[in-house]
Amino acid sequence: MVTLNDYAPIVGPEVIGQLQRLAERLKDRRFVHINSTRTGGGVAEILSRAVPLLNQMGLTTTWEVIQGDPTFFEVTKAFHNALQGHEVRLSPAQLQHYEEVNRENARKFTWEADYVLVHDPQPAFLIKVMRERARHWVWRCHIDVSRPNLKVWKYLREIVSRYDASIFSMAQFAQNLPHPQYLIRPSIDPLSEKNREITPEEIDQVLNRLGIERDRPLVLQVSRFDSFKDPVGVIQAFRMVRKHVPCKLILAGGEATDDPEGPRIFAEVMEAAEGEPDIQVLLLPPDAHHEVNALQRAADIIVQKSTREGFGLTVTEAMWKGKPVIGGAVGGIVLQIRDYHTGFLVHSPEGCAFRIRYLLHRPEMAQRMGRLAREFVRQHFLITRNIRDYLTLLTLAENPGSRTIEL
Amino acid sequence: MPVERAVAFDYDLPAKDPFWFRECFLMTMPLGRKAVNLRELLQTLKEVDTEVLHYHLLQSRLAVTQPVVEYPNDFALWAATALQDVKLAEKLSSFDPLEYEDLEQVRQAMVDILEDYLWDLPNVPWARPGFEFHFCMASMVVIRAEIPASTLREFCHALGKVGLDSVYYHFFEARRRHGSRQVDDFSFWIENNFGLPELVQAIRDIDLYFYTLKEVRDTLLQLILEHLGEICGYPE
Repeated sequence: MVTLNDYAPIVGPEVIGQLQRLAERLKDRRFVHINSTRTGGGVAEILSRAVPLLNQMGLTTTWEVIQGDPTFFEVTKAFHNALQGHEVRLSPAQLQHYEEVNRENARKFTWEADYVLVHDPQPAFLIKVMRERARHWVWRCHIDVSRPNLKVWKYLREIVSRYDASIFSMAQFAQNLPHPQYLIRPSIDPLSEKNREITPEEIDQVLNRLGIERDRPLVLQVSRFDSFKDPVGVIQAFRMVRKHVPCKLILAGGEATDDPEGPRIFAEVMEAAEGEPDIQVLLLPPDAHHEVNALQRAADIIVQKSTREGFGLTVTEAMWKGKPVIGGAVGGIVLQIRDYHTGFLVHSPEGCAFRIRYLLHRPEMAQRMGRLAREFVRQHFLITRNIRDYLTLLTLAENPGSRTIEL
Repeated sequence: MPVERAVAFDYDLPAKDPFWFRECFLMTMPLGRKAVNLRELLQTLKEVDTEVLHYHLLQSRLAVTQPVVEYPNDFALWAATALQDVKLAEKLSSFDPLEYEDLEQVRQAMVDILEDYLWDLPNVPWARPGFEFHFCMASMVVIRAEIPASTLREFCHALGKVGLDSVYYHFFEARRRHGSRQVDDFSFWIENNFGLPELVQAIRDIDLYFYTLKEVRDTLLQLILEHLGEICGYPE
């Protein structure tokens, strides 16, 4: 089992000391996380690591998962899409079903807590039936809600307003709510399969298995085949680069199975890549963490040419591996990449092509950017910072109304 | 490196009161309000809690510390990157909130700059889509780091080890606590325990607004080295 001290060589013993001092004051508090899945997705990934660590630090932390039928998850998927701005229609019967499934879960839950952190909309309704089971209720929204569908948001807002506080990943996602809103940036776990250090031999094994030869510089984009990730734009950029500099492009990712446009985008990508032997498109299963790790470490330049992005953890992962990243100037990518310092921000395939060429011709600049990028992630986007934020939040929750708490 | 000003000083002279380093943990609190153009920025700054100004002018350097200080506050950075108005970014970069007695004065000074600037413009500058200004403030938890320093040697050693949040707390936030833009916790402690007026003045003369927190720490350690002539245990 990974322990808090395993992170000391990565973040420094002083950071571990800080966490322990913060946690000491919250010793034996009961802290419950609730979400809707034990596996798959970034939330489950972080919780699976954060919950044992919080327990090691002395907080009695548990992780509850609500159960639902396919109809329930259809409704919550519609919530998700609507919060991201899509037009969706939900009937009163569907909303009733959402509420009923939450009530059923509430009947089965036996926990009592000092703090409960409810992740995303799926279990949000629980507060209506379980309010007295915890002293502090906090809603954690992991979704890009910068422009939510108004009807759905009005419905959810009425529920979310009952919480004592809410947490968003970016300032632009914050809403008009009657309680304190906090910002907690997403994070990556440097010891996870996707991010842990791996040997050159392990990297070679993965590349051999995937049939990738390292005879030219590798340019990589890891993302779902989804129009907002603009894989076709990346291919356009690559074709422009190839006129001047020899290199290879790898597009790796899963198909967006919950996106009706997924197969169409994938077909477009295959068509755009046709006849170009130096482009490899890899359709990877969702648990191909080791492969993604190896690909990112093997790449010379990593691209994330999104046209819309919540936070962009693939950028964080690439930066952590000391790679220069060229990212679309949108969402959380702007927060992570400082032009010319920790990477390049681009607005078009032409811009992307230009920056790829720039970095291919200036490997020393690429290395410097990668070094700065890794340090930036070390300071701001690792799981230890996420845990520190949780502990700070719980401390603040115990002292409502105080802006500065001296312990 | 030998320094001319170095004087013989007993690094192990015990202080009357040990220095207790504090750690501070900032939680950013977005308001859910944004400005899409310069006029909206101005209007909102007139309305919001002054803590919002405090956050965007000073505290935000603790939230996401950039590797370099290109623009020293969020408003200047926004003018440059979102409005793409470098002239305004220059004006806002030169604005030093520590020159004012309180945050109400800071607000008035910011409002004056923006009103003057807008007055002469034919059009209101708009932010690029996706680059709107999102207003925030912050809450803070402060705890004792359990790293006391009883001598200047211990102080130097600890300063090299504590987190940058601690540097922020003792060097930036301290000025509000002391009610003086001149006085930070470090120089206050040195003055009260060891005298050393030249060193105290040199610390108070640091042009802190243009330094990253790491640079502030390095500068402090360098000043102590210059004035007292010993490396004082700070790792190279």
